[in-house]
Amino acid sequence: MTERIRARLKAINDRTLSPAEWKARMSLAVTSEEHEQDRELIRWFRRRYTTPADRLAYARRAYARWTWIR
Amino acid sequence: MEGTDFDEAAFFRSIAGSGVRALLIGRRALVALGVPVLTADYDFWLHADDVVALNQAVESFGLVPNRTPDEARQVGRYVLENDEHVDVLIARVVKTVDRTTVVFDDVWSRRRELEVAPDARIAVPSLDDLILTKRFAGRGKDIDDIRLLEALRAEEGSQ
Repeated sequence: MTERIRARLKAINDRTLSPAEWKARMSLAVTSEEHEQDRELIRWFRRRYTTPADRLAYARRAYARWTWIR
Repeated sequence: MEGTDFDEAAFFRSIAGSGVRALLIGRRALVALGVPVLTADYDFWLHADDVVALNQAVESFGLVPNRTPDEARQVGRYVLENDEHVDVLIARVVKTVDRTTVVFDDVWSRRRELEVAPDARIAVPSLDDLILTKRFAGRGKDIDDIRLLEALRAEEGSQ
């Protein structure tokens, strides 16, 4: 991915939505399946890394891996 | 791959030991609570009277503020930087994108404390308040984080 594309994606991701856009996006319902997937992801993370300190350490390692892969 | 030599535990310990009224917010707070999201920086919501104390607490980590305390209070935020990026919000009152008023002192009174390192407890907002902070900037990715926080709230509620 080029820096230009990366910057463009970041700009899209960081864009502030208008109140109308925010309301429209927030009104999109999360399916029960999606909600359960989110909860399972959280359950995995909290089982694997049981303390806030362990979770924060994981996040730093994960970010370092991600920036290396980029 | 190489990470930086930033000592996160010492960083949190220094902030905790300084006595500043600082709430860890943003995705780092989500991670600490148990939501696996990726983040590059640290976000704090700080009591406006504690700017000097926070800057002193993190000075030994080479973190340099990009504004003077008075400038930061006027603008409502500033950044502490070296290889790490610490975004500090210091507005006493913030309105969410959908116009809910959120007051730092109220959120501080409802905070929960997490042990993020040996001998270091950091304050994070309650889950309801953390969801409110995710409505400050009004970005699409904040909606994704709200969804995850609601899943975390359901998970904690079931325990």
